[in-house]
Amino acid sequence: MKEFKHFNAYSVDEAVALMGRYGERAAVIAGGTDILGKMKDSILPAYPEALINIKTIDGLSEIKESGGMLKMGALALLADIADNAVIKSKYAALAQAAGRTASPHLRNMGTIGGNICQDIRCWYYRNQNNRFSCLRKKGGRCYAIKGDNRYHSIFGGSVSGGCFAVHPSDTAPALVALDAKIVTSSRTIDAEKFFEVKPVKTTVLKADEIVTGIQVPEPPAGSSSAFLKFALRKSIDFPIVNCAVMLTRKDGKVTAARICLNAVHVIPYRAIKAEQVIIGRVLDEAAAEEAGAAAVAEAKPLEHNKYMVAVARTLVKRAILACAEK
Amino acid sequence: MSKETKNYVCPYCGESHDTQDGLKSHVFKSHKGRGLPTAEGRIKLMINKAEHSFLVEPSWTLYYLIHDILGLTGSKQFCDRGACSSCTMIVDGKPVLSCMMLAIECDGKTVETVEGIAADGHPLIEAYVNNHAMQCGYCTPGFVVASKALLDRNQDPTEEEIVEALAGNLCRCSTYPQHPIAVREAAEKMKAGGVK
Amino acid sequence: MSKNSEIQTEQMLEMFDNLKADKYPLKEYKYIGQKGPRRVDGLAKASGHADYTMDIQLPGMLHMRLLMSPYPNAKILKMDTSKAEKLPGVRYVLRYDDPEVQQGEIIGKTAGFFGLDRPLSDSAHMEGELVGAAVAAETESIAEEALSLIEIDWEERPFNLDPVAASDPAAPLSFPERYIDGNHWNRGAYDELTHGDIKKGFAEADKVVEFSFKRTANTWVGPERPCGVCKWNGDNVEIWLKHQRVHLPKSRISEWYGGIPMSKIEIHSLYQGASFGGWCQIDWNLGPLWCAGAVSKRVGRPVKYIFDRREDFFGGSMDEGTYFVKVGFKNDGTITAVDTTLYHVNAIWPVFSPALHIHDNTRVQHLHGHSKSVWVNKGHTVPTRCEMLPPVLTQTMIFDHVATELGMDPTVVALKNDGCMGHDMEWAREEKEKRGFPARDSLKECIEKGKAEFKWDESWHKPGARKLPNGRMHGVGFTWAHEWDDSSGGGEFAIRIERTDAAATLMAMGADQGVDAENTYCRIAADELGFLLKDVNYNPQVYRGFYRMTPDSSTNMSVNGWAVRHAARILKQKILESAASPSSPTQRGSFQPAFPNMQPEDLDIKDSLIFVKSDPSRQMSMADFVRLAGESGPFATDEFLGTRVGWSEPLFAVGYHIQYGAYNPVNPRPRFCRQAHFMEVEVDTETGEVIVTRVVNVNDVGKVINRMSCEGQQYGGSIMGVSRAKFEEVVHDPVTGVMLNGNLLDYKIATMKDLGPIGTILVETGMGYGPYGLIGIGEDIGTVVPGLLAPAVYNAIGVWIDEMPITPARVLKALGKI
Repeated sequence: MKEFKHFNAYSVDEAVALMGRYGERAAVIAGGTDILGKMKDSILPAYPEALINIKTIDGLSEIKESGGMLKMGALALLADIADNAVIKSKYAALAQAAGRTASPHLRNMGTIGGNICQDIRCWYYRNQNNRFSCLRKKGGRCYAIKGDNRYHSIFGGSVSGGCFAVHPSDTAPALVALDAKIVTSSRTIDAEKFFEVKPVKTTVLKADEIVTGIQVPEPPAGSSSAFLKFALRKSIDFPIVNCAVMLTRKDGKVTAARICLNAVHVIPYRAIKAEQVIIGRVLDEAAAEEAGAAAVAEAKPLEHNKYMVAVARTLVKRAILACAEK
Repeated sequence: MSKETKNYVCPYCGESHDTQDGLKSHVFKSHKGRGLPTAEGRIKLMINKAEHSFLVEPSWTLYYLIHDILGLTGSKQFCDRGACSSCTMIVDGKPVLSCMMLAIECDGKTVETVEGIAADGHPLIEAYVNNHAMQCGYCTPGFVVASKALLDRNQDPTEEEIVEALAGNLCRCSTYPQHPIAVREAAEKMKAGGVK
Repeated sequence: MSKNSEIQTEQMLEMFDNLKADKYPLKEYKYIGQKGPRRVDGLAKASGHADYTMDIQLPGMLHMRLLMSPYPNAKILKMDTSKAEKLPGVRYVLRYDDPEVQQGEIIGKTAGFFGLDRPLSDSAHMEGELVGAAVAAETESIAEEALSLIEIDWEERPFNLDPVAASDPAAPLSFPERYIDGNHWNRGAYDELTHGDIKKGFAEADKVVEFSFKRTANTWVGPERPCGVCKWNGDNVEIWLKHQRVHLPKSRISEWYGGIPMSKIEIHSLYQGASFGGWCQIDWNLGPLWCAGAVSKRVGRPVKYIFDRREDFFGGSMDEGTYFVKVGFKNDGTITAVDTTLYHVNAIWPVFSPALHIHDNTRVQHLHGHSKSVWVNKGHTVPTRCEMLPPVLTQTMIFDHVATELGMDPTVVALKNDGCMGHDMEWAREEKEKRGFPARDSLKECIEKGKAEFKWDESWHKPGARKLPNGRMHGVGFTWAHEWDDSSGGGEFAIRIERTDAAATLMAMGADQGVDAENTYCRIAADELGFLLKDVNYNPQVYRGFYRMTPDSSTNMSVNGWAVRHAARILKQKILESAASPSSPTQRGSFQPAFPNMQPEDLDIKDSLIFVKSDPSRQMSMADFVRLAGESGPFATDEFLGTRVGWSEPLFAVGYHIQYGAYNPVNPRPRFCRQAHFMEVEVDTETGEVIVTRVVNVNDVGKVINRMSCEGQQYGGSIMGVSRAKFEEVVHDPVTGVMLNGNLLDYKIATMKDLGPIGTILVETGMGYGPYGLIGIGEDIGTVVPGLLAPAVYNAIGVWIDEMPITPARVLKALGKI
C-alpha cells in the first residue's frame, strides 16, 4: 500500500474533529476488513491521505440489553454478536446474520458499525487501479449495464444513469427487519433510513459523523425472526441474496411483518408488498409462497441476473417459514 | 523585520495553530486524557512470548511486520485480501487475519504465530504430520494457528465445530478431510496427557 | 560379466523394454505399500519452517514488479518512464526498448513450447499481460507506485474472448504479431485423430445423438504466486524460483545474457506452494525472471519479482472451450462411432484430440476428433492437473449421453465399451498376458468395489425420478477413464551412503509437489537396499544436481521410481561386492574384506545390516562397514597404534530411466488400469443450488507405494474437481476484455464446508508400467471429477446443463424457470 498518515482517535469528539478536518481525504478504519482491501487494490481515483482509527475509542464495543432494548456499540465484533446468548434467542435474525458474515477470523475483526457502513460490491467498481472510473467515483458511466451483471441489482439502478451495484451486508437487512435504530455522533436514525445512495456514499452519514452504536427494540410478544443467506460457497462469500424477516403473530395470524432483502439492490430492500400479503394470514406454505412472489413483483432484472429474482423469491418464502417454526 | 508566522502543530492529530496557547487549548479540548505522544509508529508487542519494539510505517500490515521485517516466515500470504486465512495469527487470544490488520494498530498486543506454537511442542504439529493434513504445505500454518485457537477455547470440539472454525481457511490441494482428524487426535492427546 | 554389469544390463532392458510388465519386482516389501510412516516434509510444513520462494529475502534485495496492460489487445506507441524513475526508492526501470531486451532472446526456445519473442514485449494480447516495463525498487509498494506513474500511449485494437467467434475468418486478429492468417492454427500431430471409418460407424448405429457443451475459463490458483529471485555471484548466477520443473528454467537461463555454462547456474528449488501443472512453464513467468537477472546484473543487487494475486489469474485451464459431439450407438449400449470437435483456447501444450481417451480406453473403432486451437485475448491455458482435461470431459459426456438416451445404467455402458485402442477386452487380455501382466479386468474390479461402497444399486434411478423429503431432487453420476502415466521423458537419481552412520542420501533436483513423493522414493530405496527407512533420506531443496523427472504426483513416479530402483540395485550390489572384496587403496597393500571368504551373492542386507545369508548371526551394521569420517577423512588406519581397522570405498550409484511409448503413435502402451468415480447430488430446484453430498473414488494404481499420499490425491482431486465443476469461472468483461474476478473472493475455490464426505478406494492389479506394476494417480482425479457433476445433475433433474461450471443460474435456466 502507498503511505498514509494514521491517527488513533481516543474519543468520539477527536474522531469527529479529525474527520471534519480531512473530509473526503481521510477514511475511518474500524475492523479494517473493507477499507484495507480497497486501498490495496487502489480502486478509487484518490487514495486516502489519512486513516482515522476508532478502535482506540473506549466503550464502543459493549453488547447489553437495557431499557427494553438491545444496545450494541459500533465496535461490537460480529463474532461476539453471533455468539451472544441473548441475541441468539431474542434477536435471532441478527445473530444468524452476524454468524454467516464472511469467515470466522474476519468475524473476530469486523464490527457491526463497519458492516453496515461497508462499501458496495461490484466487480467494476472494485477492479484494481481504478480501472473503471464509474458513476460512483464521479466518473462517466455504469459499466455493469452492458457488462457482466450476474451479481448486480435486480431492482434497478440507484443514481441517474445507472449504478447497479449491491449492498453486501448481511447484518443490515437483519437490523432493518428488527426495526433497529442507528446512533451516530450527532443523531439517531431508523436503520431503514440510514442507507442512501449518492454518487460516493452509501449512507446518510455526513463527512464528520460516525456510527457510535445500534439499538434494537425488544421484539413484541409473539415475535420471531430469521435470516437466510444465499451464496455459492458456505463460507467466506458475500451474499448473492440474503433475507431477514421478523414476524409477530397472535392467535395464529400474522399481526406485523418486516421483511428485508439485501444484496439485491444498492441499499437494503424492504419488501413492503410481501409484508402486506402476509399480514392477517396464517403462516403456511401458500402464504409464504405468495409473499415471496410479491417481494419480487417489482424486480427489473438485468441480462445476467434473472436467477437472483428466483432466489430472492425463494429466500423470502423460506425465511417466513423459518419464523413459523419458532 | 518581517513578521514570522509560527505553526504550532498538534502531535496527536496534526492540526496546526498560530499560537502556543491556541494549541494548548485545542489539546485540552480534543485530546484530554492522553499521555505524552510517542514517536509515530513506535509499537511494542509480545510475539511468541517475547517482547518486541518496532518503528513501523502506517501502511505496514501485521503480516508484513512479522513476515518481512521480523523474518518469521511461517505465516503465509495466499490472497493478501482477507479471503483465505493463510496469514492467520492469534492476537490477544483470537485468530485473526494479519494481512488485514495494520501493525501500527497492534501496540500493546500479544501475538502468537505458528513458529511459537511449534516451539511450544503443541500436539497439533505431530497430529498434522501424522495425518497428512498438508500437501504443498503453503496454507498449513494458517490451519495450525486456527486449530490451536480453537483448542484454546474448546478443548473437546466436535467435527462440526472444527469445520466451522476452519471454514475460512482455504486449501487448494484440498486436504480438508484430514484436518478434523488431526485436530481430534491432538484434542485426545491433550485430554489424556493433561497437556495444556 | 560382473554382477554390477548384469544389473546395469537388467536396468537397460527394463528401460527399453518398458512396454511390458516389471520382470524383476521385489519378492517382499517392507515399506512399500505400508500406510505409515510419516511424511518427510511434514514437520517443516506444519511448524512454519518450510521455506518457499515467496519467503526468500536476501541482503540488499530489490523488489520487482512489471507493468500490466490495461487492454486486451494493444500496442505501446510511446512510453514515458521519467516520473517512475524519479520516485524515491526506485532503483531501475527496464524498458521494452532497452537494447538487451530488444536482442530478441527467446524465452521459450527449449522443449518446444511457444516462447515469448522477447522478455518484455511492446504489445499485449490479454488484459493484464506483463509488458513494457519492469521496475526494481526498495519495496514492493514503491515498485507498484512507480508503475502507476508510467505514462503510455496505447494503440488499442479489437479483441476476441470466445474461441468459436474468433475462428470466424471475419474476426479481428487476436495476436497479429504472431498469428497473421487468422486466429485458428493447427498445432501438430495429436490434435486430430482418425480411426476406422466414421461414416461406416454411424451407419451401423441404431441411434445417433448430437450435442454440444461449453466449459468456461477456469484457472490454477496456486497459493504461492509465481516469483523468483536472481543473484549474481561474479559470473555465477544463483536463482530461487517457484517452478514445477526445475531443470527447465536452468536450461533456458543457460541461453540468456550471452550464454551461461550450466555449471555456473545454481537453482534453489524450495518448497512449492502448489504445482498443478504447466503454470511455471508459461512464458510470462520466465520473462520476469529474465528481467530480474538483467537488472540484478546492472544494479549489483539481488532482485526478486513477485506476481500479485491478480497476475496469477491470467492464464487458464486446458478444458476451456466449446465442444461439439456426435455419437452413434446400438440399443445395447455399444458405441459405434464418435465424432468430436473442440474449439480450444490459447494452448501452449499439445492439445490432444477430444476423442483420444475414447480411443485409449474403448473398443470403439470408428472415431474422429479434432481440437481446433484458437487464439483469443486471454492468457495461456495449461494442464491444470492434466492436459487430458478435454478428452476426459468429452468421454464423460459421451458415455452419459449414451446411457441416458438408452435409459441404461452408465456402469453397464462403460463395461460394454471397455477395451484398448479400438480393440475389445479379449484382445486386451491377450496383450496383458503377452506383456507379462496379470490378466485382470481393472474396470470391472473398480466398478464393483465402487458400487458397493457407494451403494450404487440402491441409489441409481431414472433421471428426475427421485424427490427427497427436503424438497430437493436426488441424483447420482458415474464416470470412468484409464489410469495414466502419460509422460515421455527421463529421470536421474543418485544415491550415496554417508560415512559415520551409513545414512543413504537420495539426490536429484526436483520441485516438491506436496505429494510426499520424497517419502515414496525413500521407501523404494529402503526396500531395494534393505535399509531401515530412517536410514534413507531425501531433501530435494538442497541442490545436488541430477535431474529427476517432474512433476511427481503420478506420471513420473514410474520414471523416477525406476531410476531410484536402478540406482539402489546397482548400489546394493556395490555394497555387497565391497563387503566381500579386499580393498587396495594404497601402495601399502589392501585391507581385508569385511566379510572374508565370502562372495557377494552369499551376502544380503536387511534392516541396515549386512549379513551372511547362510548364517545371519554373522552380521555387521552398515554404519560399522562404512566407517567414520574423521579428521583424516574416511578413517583408514590408526598407524600410530599399529592397527589396521579396515576401510570401505566410497559407496555411490546413479540410476536413470527413460519412459517411452505413452504418446508414441507407433508402438503405444495399451492402458490396462482403470479408475471409476461416483457422485451424489441434491438439486434445489427453487434456487438452482447443487449440493454434492458424496463422492467415491476408485483408482487402480497397480501397486500402492505410499497409501496416504494416494488417498490425498483422491480426496484432494475430488474436492478440486467439485470446486471447478460448481464454482470456478474466470469472468471477463465482454465490452472491455478486462478480467473481472482476479481475486479469491470473486473467483471461488471450495471451502471445507462445501461438500460432503469423499470415499477412497485403491485397487492394485499390478498392471501398471511402472516399477512393481505401479501407475500414476495424482493428475487423474482432479481431471476426471469436474466432468462428473453434469451427469449427476442430469440424473437429478432430467435436463442437461450444457455450460460449466454448473451454477444456480444455469440450473434454473435449464429448468425453464428463468
